[in-house]
Amino acid sequence: MRDALSKALVHIAKENPNVLLITGDHGYTLFDDFRKECPEQYINAGIAEQNMVGMAAGLARTGFRPFVYGLSSFIPLRVLEQIKLDVAHDNLPVVFIGDGAGFVYSHLGTSHQSTEDIACARVIPSLSVYSPADRFEITACMEMAYQTKGPVYLRIGKADRGDIHRELPTLKSNSLLNVKVGKLGSYSIISTGSMVRTAMNIVNSSYPDMAVWSVPIVKPINYNQVASICSQSKAIIVLEEHSKYGGLGSLVAEIASKFSPVRILSIAVDDKFSDKCGTYEYLLQEHGLDRITIEQSIHNFLLGN
Amino acid sequence: MSSNFNSFDPKVLRKTVLEMAYAGSTVHIGCAFSIIELLAVLYRSHLRYPENDPHNPNRDYLVLSKGHGVMAQYACMRELGWLKDEEFLNYFSDGSNLKGLSDSRIPGLEVTSGSLGHGFSVGVGLAMGAKLHHTDQKIFVLVGDGEINEGPIWEGSLFAAHHNLNNFMVIVDENGFQAMGSTKEVLDLDSIQAKFESFGFEAITIDGHDESAINSGIIQLWESGSESPKAIIAKTIKGKGVPFMENNNTWHYTRLTPETYAQALLVVEESQ
Repeated sequence: MRDALSKALVHIAKENPNVLLITGDHGYTLFDDFRKECPEQYINAGIAEQNMVGMAAGLARTGFRPFVYGLSSFIPLRVLEQIKLDVAHDNLPVVFIGDGAGFVYSHLGTSHQSTEDIACARVIPSLSVYSPADRFEITACMEMAYQTKGPVYLRIGKADRGDIHRELPTLKSNSLLNVKVGKLGSYSIISTGSMVRTAMNIVNSSYPDMAVWSVPIVKPINYNQVASICSQSKAIIVLEEHSKYGGLGSLVAEIASKFSPVRILSIAVDDKFSDKCGTYEYLLQEHGLDRITIEQSIHNFLLGN
Repeated sequence: MSSNFNSFDPKVLRKTVLEMAYAGSTVHIGCAFSIIELLAVLYRSHLRYPENDPHNPNRDYLVLSKGHGVMAQYACMRELGWLKDEEFLNYFSDGSNLKGLSDSRIPGLEVTSGSLGHGFSVGVGLAMGAKLHHTDQKIFVLVGDGEINEGPIWEGSLFAAHHNLNNFMVIVDENGFQAMGSTKEVLDLDSIQAKFESFGFEAITIDGHDESAINSGIIQLWESGSESPKAIIAKTIKGKGVPFMENNNTWHYTRLTPETYAQALLVVEESQ
């Protein structure tokens, strides 16, 4: 997935010399190819995220297309006001790439974990929010972010959980992607990012009738499509590596309550910080997002509990 | 930009600020009065707007990072004909465009400020952009002395110096006050010039109400030939021009009454 990100950045930058990659001293080897291929378009702004985002706004005003890279615990959270006032208020074409979303940095603790970013980004007017699930969705999202010509927050979570797609999906009209066809009138899982893989694993082995939808474009969401999925499903399960508040679960509930009321189970991060550290799988377990706990939650939901 | 048509007379600018502050029953008069001469000199002699077009991509940029002084900039934009008289008479009326703090959607205002420490970084980006595009555009950023409490000012200073952005000039309105008291009481800044110098700027301190000193200071820095970004520390008086407002920080938040409005207008009109 990170390889897809690097390739997409190089591709876009070579196509348009006004594309700039600006990093807040993050990325390690991720940008080796970029720096080799497009050295003039690479800026390390130092460990100074607020200035980096304001500066990206200034560069965008002079015709550049900045792609601002940082960890998702800093971009967008730490610089939310700069994103709001300096960039989004004027609909400037700046793409914010927040890497390591969710519990990727499972050993490093709360400062590097990011389960609030979708909620925070969603409420900024004119800011689009993308959350790809695999390398194909990353490539498609990067291209869409580049074509959108407005501000975008691109959330990149756990990157190596396996492909969802076999080829590049089409993201026209901000569609939710049906990555597993279900039986009509059965349950549907709507998921995003890292958790789409988990949803697929569970459905393939335990619930073959269920549909799985991946949501790479969280905002602007396709209201009609969400409403239609809700109306055609017995109930909805939303699965995400993000807070229960303000994420995909909230979004689906907002739409369903207005257009197509349906029972919704939101499986997401509770309103708490990580207590312990350990592997990524350990942290998922601590927050009830490991496969066994999720299956149990779904099982209870289906029983009506 | 030609100075033949617009004199940017500080007396007229202060009068405009008083008129609109009274019409809108609004605050921040002291914040506007300390930067009148700075803006007058910039608009009169330094900012280049091809075709007098505030959106022209080849313009010089004036970023009002201390958005609280926006009435002073509105007053200059009225001289340019970019704003109409009725916008001043209707200041703060329902559905009007001109806000109490700088808003980037008004032609001539480059950033949305008021949350402090933003415009400086945007200005650094504009300067970097001009350098990368190989243009000779100049970027002026006007910040308040209270505003430089903000961290991004110093993040941006590091960046501007590291990248030799000698097309970037910060002008610090050192009026010695911030919202709740003197800068000395709140967070003592000590020598602002020394601070910017230690961050790699070429810096000078001038009298921010002496138009010829402002003009020659700007010229001196642009012509120095150094690679460093520039800083002008302008010693100013908050509320300058109306004796009962000068160095009286209550005029950060006080609104004009019919009496104080009449008194203020009188002293401004009678000033030299």
